[in-house]
Amino acid sequence: MSIIQQHTSATLSDAWRTINIDALDPDSSQNFDISTLHPPLPEISEAEVRQLNGQVRQLLRGGDAEGALRGCLESAVYNGSDAAKDAHLQTVIEVLQSIKASEMTPMLQRIHQSQGGGELLDALMKYLYKGMSGGAAAGGARTPTRSLTPQATGGFSQIGGRPGAANESTGAAMSVLLSWHEKVIDVAGLGCITRCMTDSRRV
Amino acid sequence: MAAPEVHHLFHRPIADHSFSADRQTLAVAKDSTVELYSKVGSTFKLKDELKGHDKTITSVDIAPNSGRIVTCSQDRNALVWEPSPTGYKPTLVLLRIARAATFVRWSPSETKFAVGSGDRVIAICYFEEENDWWVSKHLKKPIRSTITSVNWHPNSVLLAAGSTDAHARVFSSFIKGVDARPEPSVWGERLPFNTVCGEFLNNSAGWVHSVAFSPSGNALAFAAHDSSITIVYPTGPEQPPQAVISVNTQLLPFMSMIWNGESEIIAAGYDCEAFRFQGGPAGWQLTGTLEAKGRPGSGDAREESALNMFRQMDLKGKVKDDTQLKTVHQNTISTVRVFEESGGAVTKFSTSGVDGRIVIWNA
Repeated sequence: MSIIQQHTSATLSDAWRTINIDALDPDSSQNFDISTLHPPLPEISEAEVRQLNGQVRQLLRGGDAEGALRGCLESAVYNGSDAAKDAHLQTVIEVLQSIKASEMTPMLQRIHQSQGGGELLDALMKYLYKGMSGGAAAGGARTPTRSLTPQATGGFSQIGGRPGAANESTGAAMSVLLSWHEKVIDVAGLGCITRCMTDSRRV
Repeated sequence: MAAPEVHHLFHRPIADHSFSADRQTLAVAKDSTVELYSKVGSTFKLKDELKGHDKTITSVDIAPNSGRIVTCSQDRNALVWEPSPTGYKPTLVLLRIARAATFVRWSPSETKFAVGSGDRVIAICYFEEENDWWVSKHLKKPIRSTITSVNWHPNSVLLAAGSTDAHARVFSSFIKGVDARPEPSVWGERLPFNTVCGEFLNNSAGWVHSVAFSPSGNALAFAAHDSSITIVYPTGPEQPPQAVISVNTQLLPFMSMIWNGESEIIAAGYDCEAFRFQGGPAGWQLTGTLEAKGRPGSGDAREESALNMFRQMDLKGKVKDDTQLKTVHQNTISTVRVFEESGGAVTKFSTSGVDGRIVIWNA
């Protein structure tokens, strides 16, 4: 009788289920740096990014939007500081905003058909997602939305709290990114999204 | 092109399927049992159930000559089912793994089989006569993650394995006393056990879902989760391969693939249909789908009466019935296998998937 009771109390406690056995195994993937599986990527400093962005802006001013887009996608920052990555994202978004809606699809098709163009569109897709996730950062103007929210309404505070809703320029930037997103999928297909999610090289 | 032969067996996912050499018996992995179907007329009838695993069966393979069936499961075991006059007799194989077994295939010689696992090892299993026992040796280094699929070289010594650490690798599984010394090939000359003959990954480094040696064994293809297939042409041992060709597609990822001769690959996966790739060492490309689009009876070109249209709008809020995919498979295809070959070319292949269908296609 007592044995049975002991047994049931032992099984009732399921604390052992929460033991992280991977942490105890020296060979497990938890105790292993996954980044060593891939060949290292060259690191790009913020200064290099700024210099490159200057060149891209020059192309843009000269009217060569496609060249500018290609330029910044070919030099996508995979390995660099957050500041360098953000600076590059800012440039990509500037280029995207300066291209007219009617030019998007033909330009994407030209890039897709060129040598190595698929990779460029994958990089573009990564920047689109990064831009969308960044929220306020994408708009360029970093207005603190908190302070703009009227406090008096109280009950509807979540409406004002949504990033972009109170900020005209962020909303506009989002709609640019969304329309690019649609156009890129038309050209590069759903495979482009799976590659974005799969790729270990993050922008 | 003749229409594919569709067998809808049940409404459960099929993890893996395998046909016997005479194509009269079909083994299907369904939950924790393997169902054996035999061909009656033009349909498959359930004949036998192999019960022995207590968790989901992940893979099943019938040896073409001996008729032995090997199964592996998430319960960390593999069973060899020996055919006998009174039915199939299971023998447990000592895998010595601590995680689920994910994939199993007989070697072409049928004296060994390889079991991939979530324990970062591949168990190479062979029969030890003196102990009357299936034992295993582990291929361990340098695997860093779960093995998703394995594929045997025609010489039964080399083994390709795809893993979730994004690498496709080629190992030697040479076992003294079981294997004859292999002929030197592009993969190497001296091949002691666990020699790594090649280690490949593609640019975006996605999980590898499927690996396959070409019929000659001189090229390796792998499909990864980045919707690509990559074909590797090795030059020789310790040298960089002469060509590594990646085809990034606009489609969803491929789960399984087979070679058809040396210059064609058939792959299928999350798009629920099979696609054809063609090429050689100079380059590969996607040439199209094997699905015959717009077959009669696929439903989208049917004439609708006005009454019917308004009735549909009233009942369902829409005119078109779009609950069916336009493909034969109605869900992800998880396995593609060669069904019939003649003169080195695949004439028919079979697919199975999450929708519980087995489909036999004309290649």
